[in-house]
Amino acid sequence: MEIKYTVQGLLIYATIAAYFTAFVATLAKRPRTGYALFLVAFLLATASFVYRWVHVQHVPLQNLFEVFLSLGVACYPISWFSRRILRIGGQWADMLIGVIVLFPAGFVFHAEPQRLPPALQSPLFVPHVAVYMLAYIFMLKAAFQAGVQLITKPRIEGALLPPEQATYELIAIGFPLLTLGLILGSWWGKLAWGRSWGWDPKELWSLASWLIYVGYFHWRYMFGTRRPRWNSAWAIAGMAAIVITLLWVNLSRIFSGLHSYAS
Amino acid sequence: MNRFRRTTLWAVLGAIVLLTGLSIYGAFIGADRAQEFFTSVPLAAYWFASVALLAAGIVLFRRLLRVPSLLLMHVGCILVVLGMMWGSKGGHALQKRLFGIDKIPVSELWLYEGMDENRVLVTDVNNLRELPFFVRLNDFRIEYYEPGQLSLWSRDERNWRMPAEAGRSLFLGEELGTVTIRRVFENFKIDIKADNPVAYDEPNGSNPALEVTIEKPEAQTGRRYVFERRPGHTNPNDPLAMVYHRSIKDYISELEIVKDGQVVAAKNIEVNHPLYYGGYHIYQNKPGGQDEYGTFTGLLVVSDSGLNAIYGGYVLLVGAILWHFWGQRALDRIKARHPSSAGSQ
Ligand code: HEM
Repeated sequence: MEIKYTVQGLLIYATIAAYFTAFVATLAKRPRTGYALFLVAFLLATASFVYRWVHVQHVPLQNLFEVFLSLGVACYPISWFSRRILRIGGQWADMLIGVIVLFPAGFVFHAEPQRLPPALQSPLFVPHVAVYMLAYIFMLKAAFQAGVQLITKPRIEGALLPPEQATYELIAIGFPLLTLGLILGSWWGKLAWGRSWGWDPKELWSLASWLIYVGYFHWRYMFGTRRPRWNSAWAIAGMAAIVITLLWVNLSRIFSGLHSYAS
Repeated sequence: MNRFRRTTLWAVLGAIVLLTGLSIYGAFIGADRAQEFFTSVPLAAYWFASVALLAAGIVLFRRLLRVPSLLLMHVGCILVVLGMMWGSKGGHALQKRLFGIDKIPVSELWLYEGMDENRVLVTDVNNLRELPFFVRLNDFRIEYYEPGQLSLWSRDERNWRMPAEAGRSLFLGEELGTVTIRRVFENFKIDIKADNPVAYDEPNGSNPALEVTIEKPEAQTGRRYVFERRPGHTNPNDPLAMVYHRSIKDYISELEIVKDGQVVAAKNIEVNHPLYYGGYHIYQNKPGGQDEYGTFTGLLVVSDSGLNAIYGGYVLLVGAILWHFWGQRALDRIKARHPSSAGSQ
């Protein structure tokens, strides 16, 4: 655990505070204040990301610190899109997600700027990581809706979708991004390392995550909404695999591989 | 859904869960063993069975045939698996047996500047084989980010960093004094002239180093040389340890392909920018360097077998999935919102 006494650190802590107060205000039935604070948190997260970009002079998606910073930015637009376009609720959870993803950036990961090694100097670097990060937020929201489905009784909240359907809608948005991330990675691997698939731990975990969602779609095709708890279990298993892909593989020595520079 | 179809779908789920489990297992055993495992004979049976299952699905489920996005995403999967199999070592052995195509799946090529070479090292069998063309290295160089960095550690484990630029100073406290970088050498050499050591930079060669002085009040100024290639080369009594580090920006090899005495292709390859010729990609994959024979580069030569199928499969897979989950649904939404305009089309 380290506290960052820097402008970057201050921006991150201010963002966490804004996300957290937005969350508390929403729970305290002050939705307008909550929403305003959510917007402030997004602006602060964006400032923090841009500050880092200027500081390191490349799109900051190179290591876990930068990747988590970007997740903090993506929370608000994805929440907005989910509510306005997909009719999916649970904004308070999106505010909490903002706190959760920025916490490791603020207190755990080192912010030491790194220069891009030759393999990362590719036009595929940014799209590959960016689509994965967007996919991860959608899948995290889906897992959250699946969790709600598992622990609550179904009830319809106004014009919002019920949790099982919300889970499906979110996965349907996230899955193409996950597929794109996997394929861009494979293409890039071919250009940088000479092979489109290297059986590296990170690659295998990301394949496992992708396959769980493929399994989810086939399961749901077979059983529809007749076994909602199982549908939700698939969505949660997919998210668990994503967390392992993003964190465990990079942080643990068990999975040494070519992606280890990301730690 | 009839029983046969239901059984097929259970088989699909079984195949997906099995591959998920195997991928997780593969992640624990490391990339090299995982590669061996996934390209082994029992796994080849799995890959064939999954292709057969995908094809059976397309035949059995009419919806897969009728809905283009569903059809294309499943065909995309078939192409990717077949392409991967065709490009594997087993696939190359099969190509040779069936069609007499004798390509080298993966090999290494170590080349000195000014040399033409067609012999490559197949590392897994430690065997030299010949490419159908020669590769010539005109120049190899490593580019670094400027400036490098000088890291310093005190005995009580405090540490500092400073850009490795001549003229830069850093005050480390009363006890340790001020460290100043006086000179930056590309190729450090030292001579004794009139009983005094004289350091100088010799052109053509590489031995990066820094000349550093340490000034303390009421003490004689100390002078030290910090070498990039010999980190930790310090006196055990020194209160400070220093490391000079430069980050590599790129490796660049200027290559020409020579066939029948003619230059038929040329490219300056670097990481992420391979050269393609005659069914092979040549990658700047291993770093090069210098030894007593000269400057050399380390290249990876990979056959392109199966690559078109893999890329074709990727395009189908991504295109179809994007259309199925985003395009089609967005269109349905728009139509639902504007039923009149949809009806008039
Ligand atoms: C192993 C053999 C496979 C068979 C026999 C099979 C069969 C099917 C069938 C019957 C459907 C239902 C189509 C419908 O919505 O009416 C389906 C849907 C689908 N399949 Fe497969 N599939 C296989 C493997 C895969 C793989 C490897 C992928 C990976 C991309 C995949 C991705 C999908 C997707 C994304 C859907 C759409 C689900 C939805 O619309 O909700 N399938 N598949």
